[in-house]
Amino acid sequence: MVVRSYNEELQYLEKVNSYCWKIKKGFQPNMRVEGIFYVNDYLEKLMLEELRNSCRPGAVGGFLPGVKQIANVAALPGIVGHSVGLPDIHSGYGFAIGNMAAFDVNDPQSVVSPGGVGFDINCGVRLLRTNLFKKDVLPIKEQLAQGLFDHIPVGVGSKGIIPMTARDLEEALEMGMDWSLREGYIWAEDKEHCEEYGRMLNADPTKVSLRAKKRGLPQLGTLGAGNHYAEIQVVEEIYDKWAASKMGIEEKNQICIMIHSGSRGFGHQVATDALVEMEKAMKRDKIETNDRQLACARIKSEEGQNYLKAMAAAANFAWVNRSSMTFLCRQAFAKQFRMTPDDLDMHVIYDVSHNIAKIEEHMVGNKQKTLLVHRKGSTRAFPPHHPLIPVDYQLTGQPVLIGGTMGTCSYVLTGTEQGMKETFGSTCHGAGRVLSRAKSRRNLDYTEVLKNLEDTGISIRVASPKLVMEEAPESYKNVTDVVNTCHAAGISKKTFKLVPIAVIKG
Amino acid sequence: MFKRKLQALQYVASDSFNINDEKQVRSLILWLENQKIRYYKIQDRENLRKHDSPEWTSHYIKYLQDVECPFINGKLVEQLEWLLGYAVKLEYSDNVEKYKSITSQNIQKDKVVPKVVSSSTLDSLNFESDDFKNGVKSLAQILNITPHPNHFITLQAISKVICERLNPEALENPSFIIPEGKPFPFLETDAGFVSNDQVLTKAGKILKLLFIQDLRSLQTQINECIVSVQKVTANPKTDTKLGKVGF
Repeated sequence: MVVRSYNEELQYLEKVNSYCWKIKKGFQPNMRVEGIFYVNDYLEKLMLEELRNSCRPGAVGGFLPGVKQIANVAALPGIVGHSVGLPDIHSGYGFAIGNMAAFDVNDPQSVVSPGGVGFDINCGVRLLRTNLFKKDVLPIKEQLAQGLFDHIPVGVGSKGIIPMTARDLEEALEMGMDWSLREGYIWAEDKEHCEEYGRMLNADPTKVSLRAKKRGLPQLGTLGAGNHYAEIQVVEEIYDKWAASKMGIEEKNQICIMIHSGSRGFGHQVATDALVEMEKAMKRDKIETNDRQLACARIKSEEGQNYLKAMAAAANFAWVNRSSMTFLCRQAFAKQFRMTPDDLDMHVIYDVSHNIAKIEEHMVGNKQKTLLVHRKGSTRAFPPHHPLIPVDYQLTGQPVLIGGTMGTCSYVLTGTEQGMKETFGSTCHGAGRVLSRAKSRRNLDYTEVLKNLEDTGISIRVASPKLVMEEAPESYKNVTDVVNTCHAAGISKKTFKLVPIAVIKG
Repeated sequence: MFKRKLQALQYVASDSFNINDEKQVRSLILWLENQKIRYYKIQDRENLRKHDSPEWTSHYIKYLQDVECPFINGKLVEQLEWLLGYAVKLEYSDNVEKYKSITSQNIQKDKVVPKVVSSSTLDSLNFESDDFKNGVKSLAQILNITPHPNHFITLQAISKVICERLNPEALENPSFIIPEGKPFPFLETDAGFVSNDQVLTKAGKILKLLFIQDLRSLQTQINECIVSVQKVTANPKTDTKLGKVGF
């Protein structure tokens, strides 16, 4: 690889407008398309500083900087449009987290890469609304937080309270949320308000290793650790009154519940298994990439298909997982308020996936093409009138749920036509790290982090307080910066903002 | 068996014909050739006439070949069916003029159909009369429905409004049936398509809303369907003993 100085590197970057930068071909070898990324002034500084640090002589180890990763993805076979970096982008395994890339399914060279999906397959966010208001909840928020904590097991190695047999798991992997529906854990309307209607139809549990199933079985209905959380949130600000009312949010101070979780150990094992298989396939098919971590296989190859089928099963696992937690949340609230979840109007507003690869139809140039869209740390954001979004959101555009960091704030956006054109209907997914986990542990003190949360009036329940500084707001970019950038760039539109009053996490 | 075809051909034993009786079959075939098909000359029919001869079967096969029956290797039923059909066809083509007028329509006419005297005044109405058209128009005005040039379409709209909004249930509890909502400024929203023609855009937006309404009722039906299945299958369980909080 060519070693260039920071100033030489900058020659390949061009600022298109105040929120968008272009990465020109040549920044990394063999780039087939250009890269773009979205930043505001503050995020731009972070982005370029990361690049500058990596250009320092003697800088070794760790992940490549985000810009480099975007460019390496742009060099993958079959990529179309741009390799897109969203404002919350930060370095990850192979693909940066916050990177979207689409591959032409009908190009025999095109690839699928597990690195472009991430290890936590179908990690996503679900938002439930209630007809409660802040004044109803504040007096009993401690009890509510404890109630949630008692119902939803959290942390590394946690086990769920919904009894599952191996056969149940097989069925759940194949049926996704249809399994939860059949067993009566969720409502019919939940399925309606979920990406893909909560079920990837190409899921094939026989393509999943026994090891993955063994890891997944006891974990259904658990939140997990890391950045996952369940929060009781309050609507703090409404930007688009009409779109918000379409989602059942009428006024400020209305209470919502946000669940951020994924496919737990199951998805992780599926991804690990696929990476091993794909390394062999790369050698056989002579696929060359700029980075060893970008292991991939041709979409139409056996390995590619196996991965897509197993990934779909993991996606179904995640939906069943979030559905089980929806059930448990409703139970916890019903118990506390002595009212049925129906009477509390605890409907799912929407459920988004931000680590997934899906086959979608998009316009490339002036032609309609079938693409395999990888979204890693990136949320689908389809515009109004798109046939794949629920009928209730046909006029507003798809709701996009952006979970902030523990204790900060979260946003709900909607998809736009411009986003459909520029980013294949994708937008950001959250705050995005600035400090690595290790760095956060070194620099921050957990007692102080917990105290800060308490001072802001947030009830918190954690399984492992000593890991809490990894997820402290200081370790992340400011989610408001990220969301405002997406809004200003026009790739999605702000609808309302939520702040937490109670958090439970791993 | 073959009763109708045999009757049509005026075969004497049409009522009692039994395909399992070899003798009856052989005599029918001879009769068909003698009276209707007449493929061989009279003197050449000798072989078929010998009912009791052991060679009859081979002569019969030869006969089938000669008349080009496609079922030579088929079952006897198929062969007979074809021969009878062939005979009917020949009979018809000999007397086209005679049979031409006997169509199902003409036969129906001759049958005695009991006449139903309508007791409903609706049936005696003249739907094209000005009186009727004016009636529809004034009904539409009362119900606040924009009339369509085709008064039948206006009538359909009236029927829809009455069935949905003015049924006893709706009248008793209007808020239950009539969706309450805020007016939606649909003209100010994005239509999802680009057109310079304002009228067209407006029409497109209205159609889109109607489409969304259709979709919504479809989705509601799907949900109702799922819920009714859930009544049979659902049995959600939890077991707190299984739960384990991690570290």
